[in-house]
Amino acid sequence: MSESPPEQPRHVETRGAAPEVGYRNRARAAWHSQSQERRWAIVIGAELLLAILLGLPDTSLGIGVALVAALFWLPKVTPIPWRLVAEAAILAIAGAIAGAGKAPWSLPFVLAIAFAAWWIPTRYRRWAIPLLVILAVVFYPFYLQRLFEMPLFGPFPDQSTAVVMLVFIMMAVGLNIVVGYAGLLDLGYVAFYAMGAYTAAWFASLQFAEHTWHFGAVGVSPTLAGFHVSIWLLLILAALLTAMTGVLIGLPTLRLRGDYLAIVTLGFGEILPQVARNGDNFFGTGFNLTNGPNGITPIDSPGWGNRISDATGGFLPSNYLQCCDRTLLGHQVSSADVFFWTALVLLGITVFCSLRLRDSRLGRAWVAIREDETAAAAMGVPLMRTKTWAYATGAFFGGIAGAYYGSFKSATFPGDFFFNISVFILCMVILGGMGNVWGVIVGAAFLSYLDREGLANTGSWINSNINIGGWHPNIDVPLYASGIYGAIILIVMLFRPEGLIPSRRRAMEFHEGVHDEPLYDSTGS
Amino acid sequence: MTTEASRHPLASLPRLPSGAGSVGLLFVALLLFWLAVNFVKTPADFVEVFLIGITTGCVYALVALGYTLVYGILELINFAHGDVFMLGGMVSATLAVSWGLEAGQASLWPLVILILLISMAFCGLLNATIEFIAYRPLRNAPRLAPLITAIGMSFILQNIALAWKGPNYVTAPDVLPTGDVFSIGGVSYTWNKLIVVLITVPVLLALVWLVQRTRQGKAMRATAQDRDASAIMGINVNRTISFTFLIAGALAGSAGLIYALYVTTVRFDQGFQLGLIAFTSAVLGGIGNLPGAVLGAVLIGLVQAFNEGLGWHTPGSDWTQSIVFSILILILVFRPEGLLGEQTPEGG
Amino acid sequence: MKSRAAAIAFALLVAVLALAAAGCGGDDNESEGTTTEASGGGGGNASAVDALPASSCSAVYYEGDGDPDYLIASDLPLQGAGRTQTIEMTKAIKFLLKQRNFKVGDYSIAYQSCDDSTAQAGKWDSGKCSANANAYARNQDVIGVIGTFNSGCAEIIAPILNRAQNGPVAMISPANTYVGLTHGGPGTAPGEPEKYAPTGKKNYARVVAADDFQGAADAILAKQLGLTSVFILNDKEAYGLGVATNFRNALGKQGVKVAGFTAWDGKASSYEALATKIKSSGADGVFLGGLVCENGGKLIKDLRANLGANVQIMAPDGFTPISAVVEGAGTDAENMTVSVAGLPNSQLKGAGKTFVSDFSADNNGKDPDPYSVYAAQAAEVLFDAIERSDGSRAAVAEELFNTDVKDGILGTFEIDEKGDTTSNPVTIYKIKGGKQTDFKVITPPTSLVKAA
Repeated sequence: MSESPPEQPRHVETRGAAPEVGYRNRARAAWHSQSQERRWAIVIGAELLLAILLGLPDTSLGIGVALVAALFWLPKVTPIPWRLVAEAAILAIAGAIAGAGKAPWSLPFVLAIAFAAWWIPTRYRRWAIPLLVILAVVFYPFYLQRLFEMPLFGPFPDQSTAVVMLVFIMMAVGLNIVVGYAGLLDLGYVAFYAMGAYTAAWFASLQFAEHTWHFGAVGVSPTLAGFHVSIWLLLILAALLTAMTGVLIGLPTLRLRGDYLAIVTLGFGEILPQVARNGDNFFGTGFNLTNGPNGITPIDSPGWGNRISDATGGFLPSNYLQCCDRTLLGHQVSSADVFFWTALVLLGITVFCSLRLRDSRLGRAWVAIREDETAAAAMGVPLMRTKTWAYATGAFFGGIAGAYYGSFKSATFPGDFFFNISVFILCMVILGGMGNVWGVIVGAAFLSYLDREGLANTGSWINSNINIGGWHPNIDVPLYASGIYGAIILIVMLFRPEGLIPSRRRAMEFHEGVHDEPLYDSTGS
Repeated sequence: MTTEASRHPLASLPRLPSGAGSVGLLFVALLLFWLAVNFVKTPADFVEVFLIGITTGCVYALVALGYTLVYGILELINFAHGDVFMLGGMVSATLAVSWGLEAGQASLWPLVILILLISMAFCGLLNATIEFIAYRPLRNAPRLAPLITAIGMSFILQNIALAWKGPNYVTAPDVLPTGDVFSIGGVSYTWNKLIVVLITVPVLLALVWLVQRTRQGKAMRATAQDRDASAIMGINVNRTISFTFLIAGALAGSAGLIYALYVTTVRFDQGFQLGLIAFTSAVLGGIGNLPGAVLGAVLIGLVQAFNEGLGWHTPGSDWTQSIVFSILILILVFRPEGLLGEQTPEGG
Repeated sequence: MKSRAAAIAFALLVAVLALAAAGCGGDDNESEGTTTEASGGGGGNASAVDALPASSCSAVYYEGDGDPDYLIASDLPLQGAGRTQTIEMTKAIKFLLKQRNFKVGDYSIAYQSCDDSTAQAGKWDSGKCSANANAYARNQDVIGVIGTFNSGCAEIIAPILNRAQNGPVAMISPANTYVGLTHGGPGTAPGEPEKYAPTGKKNYARVVAADDFQGAADAILAKQLGLTSVFILNDKEAYGLGVATNFRNALGKQGVKVAGFTAWDGKASSYEALATKIKSSGADGVFLGGLVCENGGKLIKDLRANLGANVQIMAPDGFTPISAVVEGAGTDAENMTVSVAGLPNSQLKGAGKTFVSDFSADNNGKDPDPYSVYAAQAAEVLFDAIERSDGSRAAVAEELFNTDVKDGILGTFEIDEKGDTTSNPVTIYKIKGGKQTDFKVITPPTSLVKAA
């Protein structure tokens, strides 16, 4: 037994030399011991190989891979003349591709804009680049039709898909508060999503037909039975109710150490859908809360009502579903567009709150707890209250997202809420980078696109383009969606635990360790 | 509990109200009353359901032991464990079908034992490999990191099974004898149930012997208590942890075989569900505690069976899942050390 | 040093790009076809209609002359356990369309098959249903929709299509059996079915009998089999709970006792305790309201093992295809009955008989699944409605309710003003020797159906 490598003590901070235990660290050490030229040569070789391999069955994919690789190398080309030449070369090639009719002219155009953005002086970049991104997203429906098709992943998502993506991004940003900021693993986030969706369903449908109460609802006849409350109020109500649920779940459970907390949240995530499923007749009392497996349909759609709509000159549509009879900049505005822009506004609010919270006193307390509970408590951070706030805030945004999604798809079913969705949202947070809002947005956008359209497109690409000696694969790629997410989780956690776009602080924690020995292990009654 | 408190002088927790204990007692009393009424009303059914619950509990116990072993040594909830069990069931079912096992055939039992060994070896090696790939590199990472990879691993294993067998149930042949062992007063106990218990008990005894009496078991217990001190004392910690995963996996493999023969249908997503139930059992008994896991598993098996099988004021199978998870939550909140007390490195 | 290496790296990649770009200029036409190729093959020209999004719909299927005038879509869950069934349904629709040479009256029709399931769920997904519905509503070329398979999905799609521009858009389902979609009654939710037609103009119809017919037929069967007390199980899914509830209501009217009504959990590993409960209830029959893929095989096994051979097990059409039941439950499935709305293939006459034999010949000699026959009938009804219409969306939806089929694939029937079919025979199959055998055909009386 003497040949055993020295074990690192577990919970001791190991700033400085990384422990070279396990294949992962050994591989990392071996990689970094190579000279930079050799490393680069290997990377370029791999990229070229990949581009050629993928280019053989589908030329445009090969070009796409090479293009993306070239873009990643571009920042390393520092001398300005070289840089200009490089950018010109890429643009010329993109133009040639477009000229050959292989891609719309939007490809070189988008590249040109991106390159131009690089040349913005550093002092303006801080606001110019976010501004460009926001403009690009806001005007997305206007140029969507002209966009090029991504190789392998297929066309850019249309507006309805984009709405679903935005909803999932909101949920991911909300979960990021719990997991990324406060370091509490929540495996039952789907419960908050369900809570939000059902709140919208209860107060904006015929579910409780024995009562008739209208408050600011649009698009339904005023005599229609059931509660019909304006969706805008319901978004707030759903958020508050969900936050309260979060507090109720949190109060007894947040005392638990991290892994137990994860399990308890998982338990709630399994119980709530079953309650929804059985809620058409609680224990034979005949009280119909959730309409059971039939779900609640239809849910009213959002709208501003005629008065506000007229007052704003039709800028705010009176009813989203019957929207819109107008053309903006040569684009026929559809109801999906309005849903898209509204989701964008909601996401904007979520991101803004999330960022402000992060920098607030509360946010710093979250980080302190995440890094070292004992020290945080010693410094006077109230543990329970701080954790409960994290929980409630995360739930709050989950509730808004759920209510909006319910109203968008005009239905809610108990079958919509299952464990895989909790893990799916967690996967977005992990992939993007726990704790970094921008990273989480990118991760969530990518994964939710993959789930809605990307995987199906990739699958059909694989099945139609790969041909090895007459053998065609016939793989139902979307069937393995959860496995693909599992693999993403595993690979990211092993090789880049801080995610694609890490928060610097979180990255340090992952690489240097934290003192996360919980403060009150199993301190029962 | 006093040691806990003294270990953490900073703990300024909102204590649970002192009434919680008596509410719990009242709850247990109500439960016993409900059982008693059911017993008086339909004694034969009660006993029959009781026997079914014990049998189901035995299957859960084998899986729960794997959770508890791994948790005891690494403080890691190995989410992938249920899926390792499911793969064991699939391997067993596949072998049973391809070797053409039939009830009553002369070579049945040697073949069953052979399949048992194969399934145990397969799952043991699989589990140890998972530890090597997914958990070992993260041993110094924040505690939630390996938990997250465990979930990822679980999904990957499910999809391996999905790719292998497709989304439908894999059916194993019905080979266990279903005749009555005894039949008294309308209560019949069938051989297949007895066989499940007969396989489970020796496996449990062997495990307890291994952990309590052997050198390797001593190393496991030492590593669980203090990994650093064990390393200083010359114990190969990595090997001990690998060995623990191997044993846990082998247990899952044996559970897989029993499941395949007794239940006869396995699907790719059943492992996760059953794994959660088994984990609940382990927590109920006191995680890290071997007899506790068995006790918890049998209790959970009984709860499920009583809920689905009894006639007088039962919530019924609509609520089984909720009841199991409610137990999990209540135990974690009110008595995280479980019924028999937790034996984690700190607690042991 | 650094920047030189970077420049080299960059130059290499750019060179590859340039080469590739030059290369792809040459084989322009070759790789074009991969994305827009019609799945039926044969290079159809479908440029005149806007295709539905490729993310959930197959390529446009059109091989007729000239450009198509309109598009019809089918909306079915093409992933998950029911995949073989639903794929065959799309084949049946394509078959009929080709038979008509893509001509319906004066109009040329193209077809797209859309998927309302996600891989994650392995079955229909409400988000997908709503996205599909919006896509149909937005695309003015879509003149009718055949679908859905699951009633829950229809609950979402029908009202969205109802509010579509120039609409409503006609929707005809070959498989939805939830009662509330077309008429109220016991067990339906408040506001049904009016809430599915918010504009007041109806657009949803179905060619399959609703659950209340099947529930009533099964109740008559229970009576005819001489059962005195039946225990009812459901799988807690919309379909299973619906048919079980309708069966319970009808059973009471037949004077057969309901011994119990509870759920079975498709994720559970065994049902022995449940079987014990059923045994002690003294039931001589068990009704399984649900789907065979919710662990139905194991359920039947455990029921048989604990209840003995004399208890009658009855199941609705969720336990089709019957081969799947036999595969899951083996010999324990013997003597159980499975009711399926509509006539068995062997009893179809005229157009139905021709369709079964022709489609079977086209589909590798496989006897069509009952749902394929329904899909074909639904397609025929939609085609006829388009033929009678003036080519506008609203007119097609209106014509749907003037349907009067004489000797069609499913026989002679009408679509009434609620959107229900007037022909409602229910076939009872019995499993004998591991095979389905036609047992009897029951047409339940209206009075019993109303009560169900």
